[in-house]
Amino acid sequence: MNFKDFVIEHKQAFLVILVAIILSPLFALAADAVGYSEPLEKSAEHLGAEESPIYGGILPDYSVPGIDSPIGTFLAGLVGSIVTLIIMLGVTMAIKGRRN
Amino acid sequence: MHIPDGFLDMDIALAYYVLSAIVIGICIYKIKKDGIDEKRVPIAGLVAAGIFAAQMLNWPIPGGTSAHFVGGAVAAIILGPFLGCIAMVSVVSIQALVFGDGGITALGTNLFSMAIVDVFVAYYIYKFLSKKNTKIAAFVAGWIGITLGAINTGIATGLSSTFQYSISTTVPVMGIWHGALGIIEGLITVAVISYIEKNRGDILYISDKAKNKSRGEKR
Repeated sequence: MNFKDFVIEHKQAFLVILVAIILSPLFALAADAVGYSEPLEKSAEHLGAEESPIYGGILPDYSVPGIDSPIGTFLAGLVGSIVTLIIMLGVTMAIKGRRN
Repeated sequence: MHIPDGFLDMDIALAYYVLSAIVIGICIYKIKKDGIDEKRVPIAGLVAAGIFAAQMLNWPIPGGTSAHFVGGAVAAIILGPFLGCIAMVSVVSIQALVFGDGGITALGTNLFSMAIVDVFVAYYIYKFLSKKNTKIAAFVAGWIGITLGAINTGIATGLSSTFQYSISTTVPVMGIWHGALGIIEGLITVAVISYIEKNRGDILYISDKAKNKSRGEKR
């Protein structure tokens, strides 16, 4: 199956993913505005546990270094979704193997 | 829910790496044994990519304590527990390796919470309850899957020295908060699964499995 057929056959799924990526900068701004923090962070704060990051990642915190945050978030989401798609397709095909 | 580096004692982190590796190995073995239909390969990729994108949407709940969609139940119901686990492994690993979300030392633990506990708990809840009502089944699967995943995070951190071995604090904090926030996970899970059930019911793992059986084991 070529790439074009793949996109056409699953266009709804692609559309949903694209909408989520486009909305992600808005959600990031809104999360910042309300002081988003997860229960794990609350509990760490309460018990005095501190992070000691040893690796920031290639696109740290879903941003692109040097690019303004809303656009950076969008690009990070786009890259992440494409990478996840390719890796999962590859992993699934590798596990599947040639046996039919 | 994503534990960063520095939160876990090394022996805890290592134990979870071993546990997760064993379960992932079993999943790969089971998938190979059962075989995957050609048509399910693209679906697996799209489910993983969709869950990655959905996890980017942090719910902005006023007051601060919040969460985001995790998606173990969606992966489990569409792809089944074994391939669903592998999809979540891809998502959580990419988050750690590319985006620094979740520590490298904590990856084994984060995989155990989100790719194993969440997925398998959700799958068996869905399998059991869907005989009565698929909507209720999807909701409860999303809700309880995420809550137990969070409780595992509470156990791992609570057993560690940085958290003062306060498992009696971390487990209730994680369980109660994610138990409340998990209602949203449950609602999103129902919405996604109902939509697929209505439009492409054939791609759901349980119906796909039933179909293959009724065709008299085509492979």
